[in-house]
Amino acid sequence: MPLKILIMNKLLLGLFIISFVLPSCEKDNYDGPTAGLSGTFIDALTKQPIEQDIINGTTIELLEKGYNPVTPQYLIVKNNGSYENSQLFANTYTVRPVRGNFIDIPAQEVVIKGQTILDFVVTPYIRVKEANISKVGTKVIATFKLEQNVLTPIRKISLYAHSDSRLGEGMRLVVSEKIINVASVPNTIYTIEMDLPSNSSTLKPGLGYYFRVGALINVPEAKPNYAPAVKLVI
Amino acid sequence: MNTNNIKICILLASVFLLGCDKVLDLEPTDRLSANAIFGDPKGVEIYMANLYSQLPIEDFTYMKQGFNYNQSGPNNGGQCASMVTDEATHSESGSGVGDGDFQWWADGYKLIRDVNILVDVIPTLKISDQERRSLIGESSFIKAFAYFGLAKRYGGVPLIKNSQVYSGDAESLKVPRNTEQETWDYVLSLCDTAILNLGDATGRRATKWAAYALKSRAALHAASLAKFGNLAPQSGIAVTQKLVGLDAFLANNYYKAAISASEAIMKSGKFQLFKPTPANPQEAAENYRLLFQDPNANGASVEAIFIKGHAIVGNFQGHNYDIWFQPAQTANGWPHPGRMNPTLDLADSYESYTNPGKSAPIVTTMDNNTNDYNGYKPSQNYIRYNTPNEIFKDKDARLWATSILPGTIWKDKTIIIQAGYVKPDGVAVIRTSANINISGTTYYTYGAPNTSLYSGFDGFGGNNTKTGFGFKKFMNQLSPIVPGWNQSTTDFIEFRYAEILLNFAEAVVESGTGDAIAAAKAINDIRRRAAHKVDIPLTVENVQRERKVELAFENKRFWDLIRRREFHTLFNSSSMHSLMPLLDLRALPDTKYIFVRVNAPNINPRTFITRSYYRAIPGIGSNGLVQNPEY
Repeated sequence: MPLKILIMNKLLLGLFIISFVLPSCEKDNYDGPTAGLSGTFIDALTKQPIEQDIINGTTIELLEKGYNPVTPQYLIVKNNGSYENSQLFANTYTVRPVRGNFIDIPAQEVVIKGQTILDFVVTPYIRVKEANISKVGTKVIATFKLEQNVLTPIRKISLYAHSDSRLGEGMRLVVSEKIINVASVPNTIYTIEMDLPSNSSTLKPGLGYYFRVGALINVPEAKPNYAPAVKLVI
Repeated sequence: MNTNNIKICILLASVFLLGCDKVLDLEPTDRLSANAIFGDPKGVEIYMANLYSQLPIEDFTYMKQGFNYNQSGPNNGGQCASMVTDEATHSESGSGVGDGDFQWWADGYKLIRDVNILVDVIPTLKISDQERRSLIGESSFIKAFAYFGLAKRYGGVPLIKNSQVYSGDAESLKVPRNTEQETWDYVLSLCDTAILNLGDATGRRATKWAAYALKSRAALHAASLAKFGNLAPQSGIAVTQKLVGLDAFLANNYYKAAISASEAIMKSGKFQLFKPTPANPQEAAENYRLLFQDPNANGASVEAIFIKGHAIVGNFQGHNYDIWFQPAQTANGWPHPGRMNPTLDLADSYESYTNPGKSAPIVTTMDNNTNDYNGYKPSQNYIRYNTPNEIFKDKDARLWATSILPGTIWKDKTIIIQAGYVKPDGVAVIRTSANINISGTTYYTYGAPNTSLYSGFDGFGGNNTKTGFGFKKFMNQLSPIVPGWNQSTTDFIEFRYAEILLNFAEAVVESGTGDAIAAAKAINDIRRRAAHKVDIPLTVENVQRERKVELAFENKRFWDLIRRREFHTLFNSSSMHSLMPLLDLRALPDTKYIFVRVNAPNINPRTFITRSYYRAIPGIGSNGLVQNPEY
């Protein structure tokens, strides 16, 4: 038998024996995470959940106590405004939603123990109201009103389309946008159209797609506000 | 020289340079004294070679994985910086900027330590004043280059100006970050020291001119950050401590620094554009190609201010552009060619000769609609062309020299790039392997019967272009490729005169200061070299278009999109585009081609997220630094 293989076999045998002789010890067996945090972003006025982006949307920054420096953890939020991380270590955290689509709120100290629920009651930058999205001829037409809660101009309004229901600014096949850069006018009906034939390779006739209206405020790092997505067969 | 050679040299030196006269006059035997290395010109050469080899030059060995990615089998699919910009897409996958990509942290501080060791001993060396000044100048240049490499990636970084001494307490070695402004100002002041001390000869090592060029580039970068930073605002501790971000009012001083550094080079008379007045576009295209194939030959060195050479093949030496990016037809047995696919978006950007001063998107249909990417439609009225490249006839020579266009000659072969055909009944067969026999002649969708005879659109092995364009700039046409790792030895021009002209023009037009007539002349001189005969005015748009096409694939576009904060708007679920040449069999017996503009097939759209404007600093847990926003 060649020398190389002999050595290999001895090595393997050695490893096999070691795996019995050196069993795991108690000290480095930490418990897994047992706590969690979940909740919803709620509109302070309407008490309704605030629609979000799952990709590149509002995030919740968690700073765990007892570490310096501490690397922040970020939780993402589902499109319907709810969030959940069920695998956190029980501890006290500094919790703060950041880069959101609502007026900034201060950080809070939260004791996360067991499955903790924490809702954020906030004021969205913009409420996209009375949204109606329908197919008219070869176009999809969205109409809606805007109600803004800060004085800043609105940067743009958008109509997104995607085959997945979790569509938005960060996830779309097609978007029709209007750059506005002025404050919205109450009770004005805003309209955006999406031409279907000129997007025929991405939005295929006869199939169902989701459509969603969004409006973005001109605040640094702000995320768009939305009306709920609707599904249309085109 | 690679590090192993250096280590061996130092090892040998340490063996031969031993010996003492008196027992009590002992030098430590485990290290060389500074004078032993730097007192000997050969020792200086070895040490400097090591420093230069570490310079963060974004040449052919700069990949997503970082610098000098040319060791053993650097098998990353050829993923490089151009492929995360709008210049190109990879033939296999859409490619964004990941958190771990294009990093240069530990290696950066390693180079800074190595150069600081030199800086510390310069005053003690027994050398002539002339030699001392040139060492001061060279080390300042290298340090400026290193801090520039760090600043553009991380913003403000710890400025370690002299080498640190370890005295048993690791905590004392931890230096907090300086502000971004302090970091840029340090880079520029190091450039000034280099300029003051370096001689005005030209050559491969740092010169006064290379230092001016670095200052021109770095000052323009800083100025742009100050001017355009508000297009992508960020928040967090790093922002409030000003570790990232520059105040808008700083822009004009940086622009002025870029203008004066550029002017120094322009007025020196040492450099010029290579072959500035070609007779026609064909000649212009060939001149431009030659400049990058070998910047030392044919007199091309008049344009080169600073070159990184690749003298010999092998690990840490050669590079892999020729094997990764060769058309499939000239792969010469290498199994993975064709990775760099220049986009239709880039091709669109080049001007035409008949309508100067504007990008000339490639028109494929009678209705002139260049925004329809929905694919072939039988009812559409496509323009029929006689050859697969007649559609590009009027386009800027640099398109022809940067990309391999369908049906053009490369290494004595006609490069066939065809996406399919339209059958006589009007039904198109696209991106599937098929053939059709009409009146005794067989026609193939990809233009030829098998994979070794064409270079486009077949998914086979990722070896064919998906965009309709092959890659030509920098590729060596002179010899067949050697199908192995690190076998290419093309030299790379890190600073060339055309970039200085473009830096100058941009700084003038963005700041509204400086000599606007000279700035207009700068971009028109570059255009004249590309056979344009009609001058265009100095505008932001003209300068940016010119910069994009002139410097394409020189790894400048990535930083242009970063510093001007254009990346996140350009890439927001954005597809890159392809131009599909189809053989139109409806025209038989004539041979006619039509072209279809489409989204690059099977390539995911890309999104650039704003946190990527700064790289994440590695090792926060141990180095205790404040992290960049959103990491």
